[in-house]
Amino acid sequence: MTRQQKFKEWLDSCSFREVTLLVDLLVCGYLLFYYLRAVLLASTAQLSDINWLSGLLGNVIIYSIVLMIASYILLALASDKELEQPMDVREKQINLIGYKYSAWILQIGLGIGIFQYQIEANQFFADKISMPFLPLHIMVVAFILAEIVFYGVQLIKGRTGAIYD
Amino acid sequence: MTERVIINSIRTLRFLNNEMTQKQLAEAIGVTRQTVMAIEANKYSPSLEVAFKIAEVFSLPLEEVFQYKVPE
Repeated sequence: MTRQQKFKEWLDSCSFREVTLLVDLLVCGYLLFYYLRAVLLASTAQLSDINWLSGLLGNVIIYSIVLMIASYILLALASDKELEQPMDVREKQINLIGYKYSAWILQIGLGIGIFQYQIEANQFFADKISMPFLPLHIMVVAFILAEIVFYGVQLIKGRTGAIYD
Repeated sequence: MTERVIINSIRTLRFLNNEMTQKQLAEAIGVTRQTVMAIEANKYSPSLEVAFKIAEVFSLPLEEVFQYKVPE
């Protein structure tokens, strides 16, 4: 069996919901890469500039909307009746499990962000931590990471079927 | 005490019913094909409603489709 046939077979075994989740996961993965790359490669002057930061956050929001709409249009063109089908009980359970893990990541991110803010506000380790708006970056990364985990967990649980763990 | 699990004969019953596909069964009971796959593989226990619908498709009582016993 050629690689192309194997890919087609794998694609046939995927449900439309799985493909949608995979697309969402890839979009969020790209957004995380885009955001981290912009922040890590930025100069100190850029990081301190509220206009630059505002532009970056605006870009992330615009990219997420454009990419999601474009991918859904492509999927809608390629899909059959599955698009109109509501989630069954199992899929709803898997969806809830995804939310659970996603909420953990958000809570941890929020906790670290608040902790970091307290450190900055009280000027602890002021000579070692030099990135401006670090709590905001932590929260944005936690938010995107939570989305990635939300889609990833649903894909894994949907494939393995092990939803009672 | 040995743990008992819910097992089913759906794969065999599909085969005996004109080789019904998973997709056909899924459409008949209103779930996705992935859910039928998970039920067949004993990785997911369906709701009572879905279990009754499956039994209804094969015109069999529930206990002939699903069994609660010690795995062999």
